[in-house]
Amino acid sequence: MKLNPYVLKRRLGKWVACAAAFVLAVQSATAETVKVGILHSLRGTMAISETSLRDVLLFAFDEINKAGGIKIGDKMYMIEPVIVDGASNWPLFAEKAKQLLEEDKVAVVFGCWTSVSRKSVLPVFEKDNGLLFYPVQYEGEELSKNIFYTAEAVNQQAIPAVDYMLAQGKKKFYLIGTDYVYPQTTNLILYKYLLLHGIKIEDIGGGLRKDDSGKVISAGKYTPFSHTDYQQIVAEIKQFAAGGDACVINTINGDSNVPFFKEVAAAGLTPADCPVVSFSLAEDELRALPTKDLVGELGCWTYFMSINTPENKDFLGRWDSWLKTEDHPGVVKEKRAMDSPMVLSYDGVYLWKEAAEKAGSFDVGKVRAELESGTISFNGPGGKNTMEMNHHTVKNVYIGETRANGQFKILKTFDGVAGEPFLLKDLDAKLAAASK
Amino acid sequence: MTKPGRIPPWLWLALLFLSGMVYAALGAPDEAVIRQQMAQAILSEGTNQQKLLGDLADTGSKVVRDVLSAWSHDAVFIYESNNAKTPVLLEDAQDAGGKARAIRIIDGQFVKDAKGMELRFGANDLNSADVDMRLRKGIQQALDSLALADADPEARESAVSKLGNSQKLQYIPILRARRGVESNASVKKAIDSAVALLQLSDTNSATQLAGVAELARLKDMGSLDALKRLAAKPDCAPPVAKAANDAVRGLEEHIARVNFFGTIFHGISLGSVLLVVALGLSITFGLMGIINMAHGEMIAVGAYTCYVVQNLFGSGFGFSIVFPISFGGSQLHFGMHLPGLNATGWVYEGYFLVALPLSFVMAALAGLVMERTVIRFLYRRPLESLLATWGVSLVMQQLFRMVFGANNVQVSSPAWLQGHFSINDVLFGYNRVFVVGFAIVIVAGTWLLLTKTPLGLLIRAVMQNRNMAACLGVPTQRINMMTFAFGSGLAGLAGAFLSQIGNVGPSLGQSYIVDSFMTVVLGGVGSIVGTVCSAFGIGTADQVLQQTTGSPVTGKIVVLVAIIMFLQWKPGGLFASRSRSLD
Repeated sequence: MKLNPYVLKRRLGKWVACAAAFVLAVQSATAETVKVGILHSLRGTMAISETSLRDVLLFAFDEINKAGGIKIGDKMYMIEPVIVDGASNWPLFAEKAKQLLEEDKVAVVFGCWTSVSRKSVLPVFEKDNGLLFYPVQYEGEELSKNIFYTAEAVNQQAIPAVDYMLAQGKKKFYLIGTDYVYPQTTNLILYKYLLLHGIKIEDIGGGLRKDDSGKVISAGKYTPFSHTDYQQIVAEIKQFAAGGDACVINTINGDSNVPFFKEVAAAGLTPADCPVVSFSLAEDELRALPTKDLVGELGCWTYFMSINTPENKDFLGRWDSWLKTEDHPGVVKEKRAMDSPMVLSYDGVYLWKEAAEKAGSFDVGKVRAELESGTISFNGPGGKNTMEMNHHTVKNVYIGETRANGQFKILKTFDGVAGEPFLLKDLDAKLAAASK
Repeated sequence: MTKPGRIPPWLWLALLFLSGMVYAALGAPDEAVIRQQMAQAILSEGTNQQKLLGDLADTGSKVVRDVLSAWSHDAVFIYESNNAKTPVLLEDAQDAGGKARAIRIIDGQFVKDAKGMELRFGANDLNSADVDMRLRKGIQQALDSLALADADPEARESAVSKLGNSQKLQYIPILRARRGVESNASVKKAIDSAVALLQLSDTNSATQLAGVAELARLKDMGSLDALKRLAAKPDCAPPVAKAANDAVRGLEEHIARVNFFGTIFHGISLGSVLLVVALGLSITFGLMGIINMAHGEMIAVGAYTCYVVQNLFGSGFGFSIVFPISFGGSQLHFGMHLPGLNATGWVYEGYFLVALPLSFVMAALAGLVMERTVIRFLYRRPLESLLATWGVSLVMQQLFRMVFGANNVQVSSPAWLQGHFSINDVLFGYNRVFVVGFAIVIVAGTWLLLTKTPLGLLIRAVMQNRNMAACLGVPTQRINMMTFAFGSGLAGLAGAFLSQIGNVGPSLGQSYIVDSFMTVVLGGVGSIVGTVCSAFGIGTADQVLQQTTGSPVTGKIVVLVAIIMFLQWKPGGLFASRSRSLD
């Protein structure tokens, strides 16, 4: 049969229209993607801690993608992770940050663990106007318009812990830490805070260092990373604690905690007489510590795995089933723990999602304006997080007691503590006023 | 045949029966009677109640302590039915509605209704048992004397010092009463100083003076703060202030003495750690002349052996390695699982005694393999031995990572290595005393082996002049092999010990390799005596400087600088040995 050319043309037109409609339909079904950066050390000393954060970020992305993605206007965006490795090398962190912002053009970066890595990427983020979410407890005294700190500020960890010890009637505080910026700054803040709360100088142990003008520039005892010999220090603590009502504030970081706590146990310093409050030991670290020596010692974080809420139980269940089914390379599946830095990473992703959806754009300026508005909050596994104008979050703080199974028994909850990065100036002013 | 280490069931039964008999014969307070008394005390009033509380305090029972502390926190409730009042506690576990089962204090059973169903209550459904100020004080006193009657002397001591620091004079008679029946010497001493401390809070200056004199006699370091406080008080009578100041001075002298002897002991124990760690190297590097960078990994082999043995005594040990190479789609996979003994009690605590010889054997085997495959080609090329052994150390670290994971592993100390004893307030940790003894034993063993046995003679001959020894018919190959294995085995022993005081991880060896070389070089390469002297020298100097400068880092720096200066002056070390192989 010979087709009439007119009919042919009409049929062809129909087909073309059909095909075009089909292509359009397919396009709107496979939603657009948005690139999101992960900047953590996957090699080197910090890899042990930081790979856990990469894993929980991937978990959060998978969860969001599975639920349909991020809704900007009426379009859905899938998250496409761009993972770069800072390799525990601080200048490399800056290079990788530059690569993420300038070549990959990611909408946001989640990353950094150590303060020095954050300090090294900060100028890059400010120059390229990027957006960084930082999840690990830190010393404060910093505020960049390009960084949002889901981390615990000093007044969301160290100060509540000290408040708790003061309420328990402790009158003597021994400060000990690893020699770098976080313990030094935290202890200096605590030293001033304790003076302000009526603790005498001679009841703050560990020693003071003063500059030429007699101003105290460092409080507490410091040991280098990987220090192993704590005999003298523990003997000193034992004498310090002999008069009763004493406690130890421990900011020792990393595996030096093992020889420290073994020595503490051997010297017969029990939590009943002289408890040790640690700020760097979470569930993830406790997996590699002899928990038998730590039973009854205290920790303070904004999340504990043992929090008994339906949200947390549901979250841990989802995390476990994700671990079983996911196929990302390099994710260890056995003997995993959840802890505060991981949950704060997770919370950060949802805070950013919420802000981008409200702003209707991934534009850094618009998202930042939303985040700073004080209306962005997320009901996370550790409770409600609200991002504030000062780039820090309002969240719950928990004091817990270590148990033999590597978990914490929650002793006290402080609800809705607002993060405050600048404490030193305020404390100095109050101390000056008090001395007048 | 019975399996070793398992006690037959009949013996258990017999033991259980016997202990029950003994318990009954000693007239242990019967729980049922105590519970009756408690229920009675809660429901009664006035002086009768106070008397019952006093009786309860004398029982020393844990049940009483729990109920009393609940009572003072308004957590004892009264359940009323048929005009009968029953005191109850609510269980901790609550259901979704915030309700919990109630436990009757009188017999420890759950409260049930007529049909035998367990009843559930919320905290607001029941009235709490009455407590007023006076009663609360009585309860607190009963709790305090209960703590003083605890079965564990350490708990008693802790309770005593808590009362001593309370500044409340009403505790003096309670403490004195306890002093009359106390049998433990250190608790007695603690009670004496607690009473004296409380006397300081008295307003009568004669009593204060008595307290000060007693504290000065006892030299209790815990009283320093209280004495200083007393002397600084504005209303303190001048003779009391003077006596207090004298006592403070006496105590400070005492503390200085304690610190002096403590520091010497710390120095000796740190020296022993260094010695234990470096002794193996003084054989492989000192005697054999191999710059053995893998020495640290031999230490790690010993430490991981300790970890594996511990797990075998516990729940078992398993690992699996997936090699990142694929063969036609399937990955190379290697793994094994060894079942554990599930031992408990003293059998489990004894794992360390098994681990010690095993860690020697495992590290010696590793050393043997290394000598046969790498070292034996390099006896004449010491610099190449540095590179080769460094390579071996990297390979071994990666192996540890693959088998045991990149994280540190948990090794728990057996109970008999925990704790301490004290002589005149100087603390001696059991683990530290153990390392000193351990160092003495292995040094003595090494010295005997090298000087008093035929093997030692051959070793010394080969190490002094390999060719000459070979000419005289000494099997130098075998002697080399055995010497290297022996040195590695010593490193393994060091690892087993280090697992008790520090971390066990893939990079364990790296943190000790520098210390080991420092000790051997300072002591003089090739001299065991030198290694011993330098280990104790470095250890003591480090601790003394730490004590005097107050900073752990400054001490280390000063020691390192001193070592460098010393080696400039005497490059051969403390005991320079002359040997042709070193020329």
